[in-house]
Amino acid sequence: MIRSRTLDILLGIAGILILLGLWQLVTSYELISRAFLPGPAATFRSLERGIVEGALLPQTWATIERMLQGWLLASVVAIAIGSLIGVSSTARAYLQPTLEFLRPLPASAIIPVAIAVVGLSWKMVLFVVVFGSVWPTLLATVHGFAHVEPRLVEVSRLLQMSRLAFIFKIGLPNAVPDILAGMRLSLTVALILAVVGELLTGELGLGTAVLHASRQYRADDLYAGIILLGVIGLVSNYGLALADKRILAWKS
Amino acid sequence: MAAASNAIELKGVSLSFGSNQILTGIDMRVEPGEFICVIGASGSGKTTLLRMIAGLLTPTSGQVLLHGKPVRSPTRRVAVVFQDYGRALLPWRRAYANVSLPLEAGGMPAAQRPARIRELLAKVGLANHEDKFPGQLSGGMQQRLQIARALAQEPDTLLMDEPFGALDAMTRQTLQDEVLRLVSERKTTVFFVTHDIEEALYLGDRVVALDSNPGRVAYDIKVPLPRPRDQLTTREHPEFLRLRREMFEIMNKIHA
Ligand SMILES: Nc1ncnc2c1ncn2[C@@H]1O[C@H](COP(=O)(O)OP(=O)(O)O)[C@@H](O)[C@H]1O
Ligand SMILES: [Mg+2]
Repeated sequence: MIRSRTLDILLGIAGILILLGLWQLVTSYELISRAFLPGPAATFRSLERGIVEGALLPQTWATIERMLQGWLLASVVAIAIGSLIGVSSTARAYLQPTLEFLRPLPASAIIPVAIAVVGLSWKMVLFVVVFGSVWPTLLATVHGFAHVEPRLVEVSRLLQMSRLAFIFKIGLPNAVPDILAGMRLSLTVALILAVVGELLTGELGLGTAVLHASRQYRADDLYAGIILLGVIGLVSNYGLALADKRILAWKS
Repeated sequence: MAAASNAIELKGVSLSFGSNQILTGIDMRVEPGEFICVIGASGSGKTTLLRMIAGLLTPTSGQVLLHGKPVRSPTRRVAVVFQDYGRALLPWRRAYANVSLPLEAGGMPAAQRPARIRELLAKVGLANHEDKFPGQLSGGMQQRLQIARALAQEPDTLLMDEPFGALDAMTRQTLQDEVLRLVSERKTTVFFVTHDIEEALYLGDRVVALDSNPGRVAYDIKVPLPRPRDQLTTREHPEFLRLRREMFEIMNKIHA
């Protein structure tokens, strides 16, 4: 069965409405105390205060900025190292064991190290975000380079292309679909770690805003913050999906 | 004739993959501007031979010389057209940018490229398709594009590995004539692999047949048919018919 896009969008909206309805029901019948779960109306009023009146805007921007900075830096590092490993067996021999050692380490295990090295600051957050979100894109880049059509490797040899030319004209373009998929995963990780980093350092951001709201029993503000975090994830993922479509036009 | 005047020369060339002897004792000379067709059953080592001339493979023994110089690695003076155009083209580059690749690799200044690329696309009849990705072109058009890309190298030797094997009969004939026209313009030496006896006779100045297991030269004949060739009159020429019969008989004997 082929469903139209419009129908899919309508179904998605219906799903959200059903969730809101359930939420309203649960709070109307006070199945959960309003002190822990405010109604949708109260939450949206808090969201309105935060966004329209601007109370949460600085925190929102701070978190988005932290996430994007770490993510972009991680992407650049991942693509550079991945390309190097992809074209040079020497680089692969040098780096692979180290990377295999680092990769399974949970980002949370790195946090104490990062704190010891750069202190409990924005630098620590950036470091942890980069460390955690570098892997999906790095592995994707290596995978992309490893799966270049052998015929195209021959074409590059026949044209006497330099390594650098091979990277930019064949290796990277070939890896782009993988890289984009890796970068989407990385972005989710970057958002999570940006919030974790805020909670630890107490720097301005949605994570700290949510924490303060919870400590002060402002449940409506707490849920407003969480909804905002969800929206950031949703919008950035959707934006990347759109970019995917444009960049990968040759695939369709 | 002096060795240096041969565009391609193979001297006692043998090749093994491990203990598997693929080609043995190949001697062959191709003069500049000559169109040589190589036929042989599948697995007889035609592609392997072509890859050695291209510098993609090194013979186990013997020597491959281009214009008297031993081949050590590929050079842009030699262009290759593969049978599997779908893999040989860069799928993420439009037709225009695919033709641009050899110009970029050869260091042609960016300002000079557009005119050259459009000239080449026009030559192979793709002037109106420069913005299409390979995936949006028919098989025949993709193969034209690969030919345009090969010509962009301005090669003095063109190696073609069963380039029309995957195309329908009509498209194949059109492309045969286009290749003849394009290479006669520049007096390019052509090494053309096919398993189709008629195609070999129609295109070649000479036909070399390979025997299998291990691959070796079975015979080497001149094709004294007049040029320019024509799909109707050439194929009805008494000499064409005579050579075709002779070659069928020899091929049958080889594979008996
Ligand atoms: N890279 C390789 N490694 C091992 N065997 C190979 C390789 N390439 C080709 N062969 C073998 O060499 C023989 C000749 O192959 P090929 O040159 O492709 O023949 P043709 O082009 O005439 O069909 C075949 O038996 C094939 O299996
Ligand atoms: Mg072959």
